Amino acid sequence: MTSPLKTPDTDPPDWLERRLPVMSLLRRQYVAFPMPRNLNAFWSFGAFLIVTMAFMIASGLFLAINYTPDITQAFASVEAIDRQIPSGWFIRSLHMGGVTMLFACLYIHIGRSLWYGSYKAPRELLWLTGLGLMLMVMVTAFAGYVLPWGQMSYWGATVILNAVHAIPLIGQPLSELLLGGDTLGNVALHRLFVLHFTMAFAILGVIALHVAALHVVKSNNPSGIDPVSPSQTLPFHPYYTSRDGFALCLFLMVYAGLVFFLPDLLTLADNYVQANPLVTPRDIRPEWYFAPFYAILRAVPSRLGGLLLASGSLAVLFTLPWLDRSALRPATRRPMVRLSLPLAFAAFMVLGVAGMHAPTPAWLLASRVAIAWWFIHFLLVMPLASEREMSS
Amino acid sequence: MTRWTRNLILVASLTALPACASTPAQRGLMVFQQVCSACHGMEHVAYGDMSSLGLSPDEIRKWAADQQMPNGTDDNGDPKTRPATATDPILSPYPNEAMGRLANHGLLPPDLSRLALTLPGGAEEIRQILLSYAPTPAGMTLDEGRYYNTALKWKHIGMPPPLQDGMLTYPDGTPATSAQMANDVSAFLDWIAHPHQAERRRIGVYVVTYLALMAFLTFLLQRRIWRAHR
Amino acid sequence: MTQSETPPSSDGTRRRDLLATGTVVLGCAGACALAVPFVESLKNPVANPLSDRLLDVDLSSLTPGQDMSVRWRDWPVFIQRRTPQMLAALQAPDHLATLRDADSKVLQQPKDATNWHRSVRPEYGVLIGVCTHLGCVPSFEKPGSTPEAKGGYFCPCHGSHFDAAGRVARRAPAPCNLPVPPVTFLSDTKLRIGHSAGDPGFSMSDIQQI
Repeated sequence: MTSPLKTPDTDPPDWLERRLPVMSLLRRQYVAFPMPRNLNAFWSFGAFLIVTMAFMIASGLFLAINYTPDITQAFASVEAIDRQIPSGWFIRSLHMGGVTMLFACLYIHIGRSLWYGSYKAPRELLWLTGLGLMLMVMVTAFAGYVLPWGQMSYWGATVILNAVHAIPLIGQPLSELLLGGDTLGNVALHRLFVLHFTMAFAILGVIALHVAALHVVKSNNPSGIDPVSPSQTLPFHPYYTSRDGFALCLFLMVYAGLVFFLPDLLTLADNYVQANPLVTPRDIRPEWYFAPFYAILRAVPSRLGGLLLASGSLAVLFTLPWLDRSALRPATRRPMVRLSLPLAFAAFMVLGVAGMHAPTPAWLLASRVAIAWWFIHFLLVMPLASEREMSS
Repeated sequence: MTRWTRNLILVASLTALPACASTPAQRGLMVFQQVCSACHGMEHVAYGDMSSLGLSPDEIRKWAADQQMPNGTDDNGDPKTRPATATDPILSPYPNEAMGRLANHGLLPPDLSRLALTLPGGAEEIRQILLSYAPTPAGMTLDEGRYYNTALKWKHIGMPPPLQDGMLTYPDGTPATSAQMANDVSAFLDWIAHPHQAERRRIGVYVVTYLALMAFLTFLLQRRIWRAHR
Repeated sequence: MTQSETPPSSDGTRRRDLLATGTVVLGCAGACALAVPFVESLKNPVANPLSDRLLDVDLSSLTPGQDMSVRWRDWPVFIQRRTPQMLAALQAPDHLATLRDADSKVLQQPKDATNWHRSVRPEYGVLIGVCTHLGCVPSFEKPGSTPEAKGGYFCPCHGSHFDAAGRVARRAPAPCNLPVPPVTFLSDTKLRIGHSAGDPGFSMSDIQQI
């Protein structure tokens, strides 16, 4: 506990160090690594994401051991995991609850970056790898949701694959590559299983890039001004290890609550009915984390238009470091952004709630207003605000 | 009774069970065995899964041995059967969908593995349906194979009234009234649709307690570490 | 790089060390406990004593010198009908001298098959066809098919020889005789595998090596 301040140079070189300097690397990057002093709780969500990802990979591997990617057996193999495999119910709940925790943390993590301007120079690559991770997690979550071969799996996948099909030029060949046939069947299920499994490890790789980029440009902080002298920083260990440890315990309590006490809270009961290509369930809707995008698809009275706006709502995030050129980072110091960004957050939530309700005229109107505000904020307010801030 | 309180009673009764009494879910299993299983199966549930309801291996073996499982074909190509064992699924009595429909005016009795989860209204809805049969009112004619039932939106159902007072005898002496049996079998179906629920909650209490302790310790630790800088 | 930090006061250090050690130890204990359900899930859910099954076999089509295989509990079970020559070969003293366990001392069979022919009836042999060396399935050497063939078994994997009663040859790597399943003759030509009338308490989990 008293050694974090030692630098690797003063340590006697040992056997391992001379051959593979991992210990000094760890010490530089995770013990003595300089962190801003003023980080708040929102900076713990990256740690939550890493831990949730570890839970997902571990539970996913053990689920894959017992899962059968075959349309005649997939549903029964998942039921067997829930019922007959020892502790299978726990591992599956860990995986299902983990998706919710992963997306919740992901959205908060991204929201924090938007609020405190963490996407700005020199952190553009950190931002882009992070958004790339979000897209990869979305693809993985979609593929994984098909695997239990319940009614929601089947019809969700049908809708999404038809949406992919509707993309001009690349849509048709892409959906054919995924389906491997005319309709969603055995071949597609097997492909989605392999896709799901492979993407999990691809995500691990990109996380490594994301963390490597973070360790080059260092953490942003609530003031938006990067620390310049050592006196403005604290070593990662023990200061942030202890704080993240505490935050992690609280986070895991929420996760455990979901796994042990409310396993059915966020899953759709219809997915416990085996897929039936002849009957679409009456209240078909996506899981909550896809609801905002689903709401956009429904609110736009054009198939291509809906697809463009739904993908555009994510695409604007990729261009944000160049739309917003102001040197001021936190929204707290930018009057226009301070008003407009919370409304954009609210718009995202309105879309999420709308996506989980029947498309009544009121919800459609709310969705359309929300979509409009989302794009106004990123395409109009952000450039305007940065224009004004740079000129003043 | 709300779903919540019934779950609580179920959990309590599963954890501390007096030797002579039986739980609603255990009595409900009896109703399933003697009544429901004439038409319905639970194809994702194995006979052996009942051991967590308190059935002994011998009781399970005896029950399973009375049921037949398809077992390939004989030398003439005709389907063969064998007695079921504990690891076999509790199949529908109909060998295939067509036979099930033929025997039930074109309707297939649904599988009960997850019915209490997937049916809107859950186990309570099942209980209501079982209790809401009534004579068809004058002036109303129903198609053949439809039965008047006030719990449903269209007031009829394809399942004939399954329960009659005293149609079975509970070993614990509970009077087997229709209401009692409806209560018990819906508790059983709720139990079967939420596998390992009691164990899940029991372990959950330990896990959350552990995490709370860890949160307390890490809170003290981080406060001590950070105090110098406040 | 953070040399300017003041170390925690001396009275705090001791308590923090105890607190820190305790937290880390408890955290590691939690992580270990978390591993338990994962390992647990790898256990075979089917492996319970309830899964013992009975298999009835019709022997009427089996002629002397012939053998047949059936599947019982996922094991190949060899059933052979022995000729008088095969039975004589099983008792030849120079043959017995080449065997590792000629008297079936190792528990590889129910009590009613612990005899010179390792079966309930001398004219029928019933063996589980899993080599006791490393689990391959030995092949039957039909008597008369080659000059040396006397109705024994030969394991293709590492060359273990078993005689017609499943007794392992001394020069073979396999350590034990082939296991004998519990069987009962329901009639002269009807065999039930899975229960032994002569040794009702016998269970396959009691045997030495399979």
